[in-house]
Amino acid sequence: MGVALDSSVDPPGNDKQRFTNARQAPQSAIDMEFLAAPIKSAKDKFALVPEFLKVRGLVKQHLDSFNYFVNTGIKKIVRANNRIESEIDPTIYLEFKDIYVDKASVMSMGKTDDISPNTCRLSDMTYAAPIKVDIVYIRGSHDRKEKVERKGVTIGRMPIMLQSCCCTLLGKNEAELAKLGECPLDPGGYFIIKGNEKVLLMQEQLSKNRIIIDMDKKGNFNASVTSSSERIKSKTVIQMENQRIYLILNQFAKKIPIMVVMKALGMTSDQEVVQMVGRDPRYGALLMPSLEDCAKEGIYTQEQALDYLESKLKRFNFSGSSSEKDSARVMKLLRDVFLANVMCQNDFRPKCVYVAVMLRRIMDAVLNKDAMDDKDYVGNKRIELSGQLISLLFEDLFKTMITDIKKIGDNILSKRSRSSAFDFAQQLTSDRITNGLERTLSTGNFNIKRFKMDSKGMSQVLFRLSYIGCLGHMTRVKPQFEKTRKVSGPRALQPSQWGMLCPCDTPEGEQCGLVKNLSLMAHVTTDEEEGPLMSLCKCLGIEGLEILSAEEVHSPYSFLVFFNGNILGKHKKPHHFANALRKLRRAGKIGEFVSVFVNEKQRSVYIASDGGRVCRPLVIADKGVPRVKEHHMQELKDGSPRNTYQCAMGKQAMGNIAYNQLQRMDMLYLLVYPQRPLLTTKTIELVGFDKLGAGQNATVAVMSYSGYDIEDAIVMNKASLDRGFGRCILMKKFSGTLQKYENDARDRIARPYRDGTDAGRMRALDNDGLAAPGEIIRNNDILMNKQVPQVTRGPQISPSQLNIPYGNAPVSYKGPHGESCVVDKVTLSSDKHNNLCSKFLIRHTRRPEVGDKFSSRHGQKGVCGTIVQQEDFPFSERGICPDLIMNPHGFPSRMTVGKMIELLGSKAGVSCGRFHYGSAFGEPSGHADKVEDISETLVRMGFSYDGKDLIYSGITGCPLQAYIFMGPIYYQKLKHMVLDKMHARGSGPRVSLTRQPTEGKARNGGLRVGEMERDCLIAYGASMLLYERLMLSSDPFEVHVCKECGLLGYYSHKLKTGICSSCKTGDKMYTAKMPYACKLLIQELQSMNIVPRIKPEELEKE
Amino acid sequence: MEGKSYQRLPRVKIREMRDDYVKFELRDTDASVANALRRVMIAEVPTVAIDLVEIEINSSVLNDEFIAHRLGLIPLTSDRAMSMRFSRDCDACDGDGQCEFCSVEFHLRAKCHSDQTLDVTSKDLLSSDHTVVPVDFSDSAGLESSEQKGIIIVKLRRGQELRLRAIARKGIGKDHAKWSPAATVTFMYEPDIRINEELMDTLTLEEKKAWVDSSPTKVFDIDPKTDKVVVVDPEAYTYDDEVIKKAEAMGKSGLVDISAREDSFIFTVESTGAIKAAQLLLNAIEVLKQKLDAVRLSEDTVEADDQFGELGAHMRGG
Repeated sequence: MGVALDSSVDPPGNDKQRFTNARQAPQSAIDMEFLAAPIKSAKDKFALVPEFLKVRGLVKQHLDSFNYFVNTGIKKIVRANNRIESEIDPTIYLEFKDIYVDKASVMSMGKTDDISPNTCRLSDMTYAAPIKVDIVYIRGSHDRKEKVERKGVTIGRMPIMLQSCCCTLLGKNEAELAKLGECPLDPGGYFIIKGNEKVLLMQEQLSKNRIIIDMDKKGNFNASVTSSSERIKSKTVIQMENQRIYLILNQFAKKIPIMVVMKALGMTSDQEVVQMVGRDPRYGALLMPSLEDCAKEGIYTQEQALDYLESKLKRFNFSGSSSEKDSARVMKLLRDVFLANVMCQNDFRPKCVYVAVMLRRIMDAVLNKDAMDDKDYVGNKRIELSGQLISLLFEDLFKTMITDIKKIGDNILSKRSRSSAFDFAQQLTSDRITNGLERTLSTGNFNIKRFKMDSKGMSQVLFRLSYIGCLGHMTRVKPQFEKTRKVSGPRALQPSQWGMLCPCDTPEGEQCGLVKNLSLMAHVTTDEEEGPLMSLCKCLGIEGLEILSAEEVHSPYSFLVFFNGNILGKHKKPHHFANALRKLRRAGKIGEFVSVFVNEKQRSVYIASDGGRVCRPLVIADKGVPRVKEHHMQELKDGSPRNTYQCAMGKQAMGNIAYNQLQRMDMLYLLVYPQRPLLTTKTIELVGFDKLGAGQNATVAVMSYSGYDIEDAIVMNKASLDRGFGRCILMKKFSGTLQKYENDARDRIARPYRDGTDAGRMRALDNDGLAAPGEIIRNNDILMNKQVPQVTRGPQISPSQLNIPYGNAPVSYKGPHGESCVVDKVTLSSDKHNNLCSKFLIRHTRRPEVGDKFSSRHGQKGVCGTIVQQEDFPFSERGICPDLIMNPHGFPSRMTVGKMIELLGSKAGVSCGRFHYGSAFGEPSGHADKVEDISETLVRMGFSYDGKDLIYSGITGCPLQAYIFMGPIYYQKLKHMVLDKMHARGSGPRVSLTRQPTEGKARNGGLRVGEMERDCLIAYGASMLLYERLMLSSDPFEVHVCKECGLLGYYSHKLKTGICSSCKTGDKMYTAKMPYACKLLIQELQSMNIVPRIKPEELEKE
Repeated sequence: MEGKSYQRLPRVKIREMRDDYVKFELRDTDASVANALRRVMIAEVPTVAIDLVEIEINSSVLNDEFIAHRLGLIPLTSDRAMSMRFSRDCDACDGDGQCEFCSVEFHLRAKCHSDQTLDVTSKDLLSSDHTVVPVDFSDSAGLESSEQKGIIIVKLRRGQELRLRAIARKGIGKDHAKWSPAATVTFMYEPDIRINEELMDTLTLEEKKAWVDSSPTKVFDIDPKTDKVVVVDPEAYTYDDEVIKKAEAMGKSGLVDISAREDSFIFTVESTGAIKAAQLLLNAIEVLKQKLDAVRLSEDTVEADDQFGELGAHMRGG
């Protein structure tokens, strides 16, 4: 037995033959004999998983996709656009012979140096490699022409994905990686753009070039095909409305009756159409109204049909100066836009057959609702990976470059007098491609007009809070289609996600169910060459369409064969054909990700080799012994929402990020003493989480204590905190750049003042004006004593001119008030413009305090409620004193059975000295320790089998009434800490528009008395308090109101009285207090010609 | 105050005593006394620990605070601690905590010159006072001294250096756990196990065996000669009620009667090495006495009335 990879198009049950998979990626050493050997039990099967992960899974899909682009995709693009020809003199041309992406390197002062990713991170550079082309071109013009061949011309720089085939890190061992400042556990799969790590998220889309049958809101049946070829992307919909079938295409202003289209395609015989759809009388009946429609319109010939279509065309240019005839336009449209995936030249027959198949599918759906397609089915989805995205981007940039060069070339050639010989190649080396790639990747805004693509947020800064968070970020799948909020379908868990997309890991709230994560073993395919596969299929006995009559297309005893959505032909023995293909695949003769599936209902065979399909490995079994049994489902450990919560929280946990964490210069949260969990799972070991822990094993007593533990709060032992539990290090980056200005003046760093008013703030500075590593630093202290020239424009200043005036512009540290931090590291580097850039890493070591957030690995978060002295903490007669106390109310409603098992397993683990396993579903296969075995271990070690102990109160010394469930649980410290959130304000800044206090901690904002708080005060009747909070403490304002007209006036300082500007007098004015926001509202209404007048009752009575 | 006196005379019997370990029985007293003793041993017996670190050079992988924290947790021999002054009350140095009466200075200089990583341990800490040195576990643990190199502070690789000055001060565990001399202080109530011999005799040997095995700890055994169930180790009993439940399940409730003696405690004290375990107990009693003196003192004074008001009268038994 071996491992096979089957695409999502294959339902797993269908594929059960013995084979060995001989085709393996060459880069990793895999013991073939070991893999091919028969596997006796389920436990042994596990050994396959690590082997699998060497080749696939985790972030490998990103790498595969990028590698495919660099090795194959980019060449295809260039091959398709390989010639630049001058319009003025066609003999002058430039031809691209080859293109390749070199190893990552950097150009500095005309010299090329190798570059390591870490250098890029530290000095804000882009980790990129030159894109080189081999060219042949004509140099010179007119009579002095010569053919020149040049190799290795750099046309731009391609950002390189880490660990891809162009990356210097590929294939390096641990020691070599360490030398380069890299972490061996880092999976790669991201880019470094201007020093930031950027991930291109996977994009989920509906699959291209496939017929999808569904029902729209009005209950009409639709068959839609989103075609995508190299040249054009289009969407074709065939709709059945009121028994009549229409074609909907963007280029037509109206729905077109389908029969007209068929006639335009050359199928003038109604009989032939009916034959092609199928001879079943039910189909004929359904087609009847459409046939009648067409006859009513009086369309019988192809010309009539084309004329009809022409009249329905959308007019783009009203002038009517279109050079080509409209009927030719219709033909072109039918050929290139309508069902663009079905390629044909002048014979439209393949399109006819395709339309017939679409009609047949619609009718199947009408007759039997089950025949509809499920848009949410994973098999109908494709995942677009970074390689494909970059490929689109590059294609656009490359084409733009070619047209630009052509334009420039023509411009130069059209000029009469030129000093030097014309040289095409000079134009190649520009920054267009480099900048385009860099900008798009760093902003994440893909705006490619050529492909009508405009999406934002495609790239994100890699989430580096924890190792798991980083991995999770790279398996994230984002939907590309718009979020229709009302529909629950796309958000729901699809059974076909099994093994491909994680059922638990999705965010809560708005994005719930839309943003997904790939599962551990899932793989996303890349494109596979279609030509050889197609001819292979022909060899396997497919009858091509061209030799079939309309009648024969759907003849019984034969199945249609679809290849990547296109009809290849039909086959008489579909199962035989499918098996043959599978055998070839397993023998490694065709790609391992080619999938074959025989659809009995639709009487078709589907073959897919396109990119973006999600695959999972399956173990192939002879005679199909079912492996998943019912009892698996009963072993789900935690309540399922808890799994989802943990997925979100595990990413916020502090801990080790990577082995190179101390060499990084960015915001970091580190744990001082991270530990490896006592109760692990096989998955943890597979992803390497055990090597980069993000938590600590705390001895937890499940009991209530002190009342400071309600609502999931935890009570912590002060002595444990003293000894380093939950202690964390926070690193924060500050930076300052010395700039150059127009007039050649430069910023400078000044010597610190050792006395005077600012001397205190400059304590941390060395004599060079930069903060020294190891110095203690407080809020508002200066990190870099920068000075800027006061005159930055005007005449040039020579470097010798020293006495120009400078002003202070220090870079200062902003941190929590009253806390002292330490300067950890200072780096000096030069940025892109060769300016000196200094970065300061500020370190703050924090011990847990009341209000800090902690979480176990079961979605059970809680804040620290109180910290208690060790002597007050309960203790067992063995002397064990818990590190923290958790309230038992956390258990019943959450149903986190896993946490209890973890406690038992960890307790057995510490007492017997062996890490225990708690993999989900692992017990029957031996990957997890059974609770019974754990209990036995506990009893052997002198504990009670149920994990409960007799505990004495630390306060009284008396034994507690109940036995307490106590043992180690892996606890994570989450990044939310009170110190960062604590905020209060008296008076402070206000928003200029409304004069109300600002919002948010960062702006030193006020605390809002919101609607609900206001309601409470109203209900209580505390009107004075309300008045104070909503008016006096917010935005009181005094206005002058005219008694006469009720409009707002103003105060005249000259006359020392209020004046009404509409009555032009100051006689009947009075003042009133109102919120400034109210005054603003009145004035805004006035600006819209609405006149609010203020007429107080009392005044009117006067 | 009238009526009978509640004064009791507790007895201590030491069962086992090593430098860092002592096990003793405390009889004829209440849980309050036993617990007070335990609490004082953990939190209020003073020791000396590093409290201030001045780092001169640190090119190791661990940052300054990290190393300072680790240094603080190293137990120092603190036999002198009882007689030392808290630096906050020290007159000689006016509270800056750098005089000989209240502090001890340490120096550490380490640099790695070889390709092998150098372990900087507590042995590298050089004390200015020979009575206050990092605890040496080599002899007491009975291991070869070559294996025992002290507590690792940090590991250095080639070229890395650590140089620092540290001040150790007197303190108590209440302020910070590094000053706690106790690794483990715990006590248990002595169990009183009475087997109902008559009922026991009605059991078959298999039943007896099953019953004996039902206890997770080895409390009972069967005498191979007489086939009688005997209590071999009453203190191994963890009050888990397993044997009682078993007896009930067998339909023989009342087979054994187990109760905790409310006036007898078995103490286990493990020291960090800062103070000898036995000395820890004595010091704890001393501290406890001082605290009681403070209470007694305040009872006598008039201020107590002001301080406690009506409560003061109650305290005096009025």
